[in-house]
Amino acid sequence: MNGWILAATVALGGGGAAVLWGVTTGPPARRVIAQNLATSAVCPALLLLSQGYGRPAYVDLALLLALLGPVGTLVFARLLCDDLSEEGASAWALTWTAAGLGAAAVVALCVAVGPGRAMVKLLVVGALLISGNVIASRALAGGFRGVRGG
Amino acid sequence: MTRRTAPRAVLLAAGELLAWWAALALLWLVLISSVDTLERIVGASCAAVGAILARLGRRAVTWR
Repeated sequence: MNGWILAATVALGGGGAAVLWGVTTGPPARRVIAQNLATSAVCPALLLLSQGYGRPAYVDLALLLALLGPVGTLVFARLLCDDLSEEGASAWALTWTAAGLGAAAVVALCVAVGPGRAMVKLLVVGALLISGNVIASRALAGGFRGVRGG
Repeated sequence: MTRRTAPRAVLLAAGELLAWWAALALLWLVLISSVDTLERIVGASCAAVGAILARLGRRAVTWR
């Protein structure tokens, strides 16, 4: 057990509990936000675990998650657009908190890894995670109504 | 009779493909775990295919 694994446990435990609570209670708008939070919590946790266990392969999992998670949320946003347009699924405080968690994890790991290819890879994962998170949140909040028929 | 394309358009297309190829090849080199000759060859090939697809996709989105 080291600090990285502890931080990953906190991110997984806290994020996982919030996701579980969110997806099992409340209206669809709230549930779809909660499932989007799953990516934002698990991806930084995987990055922290890769450093904690010394297994760079975990970064690939985080990369895949950061890429596919927001895509899945966009599918939900498309399929649930009628439900979402009535209630409006806006959660900007949560979105930026999750983005901050991802950014903090990536910055800490970059400091630990030092300059090099591994650091660039971490930055790519972080950029994908945060931009995907923000785009998915904006889609859920109805920010892309113009492309609804697309 | 073949249709002549303006040299400027050909240059622009080649430049765009080259830019996509360079970006994708760089991304490949960053994401792999160990850099060796085989990885470079595979990466360059995949980046070439990706560059063509990226240009097709961009054109499809830009001029509908």
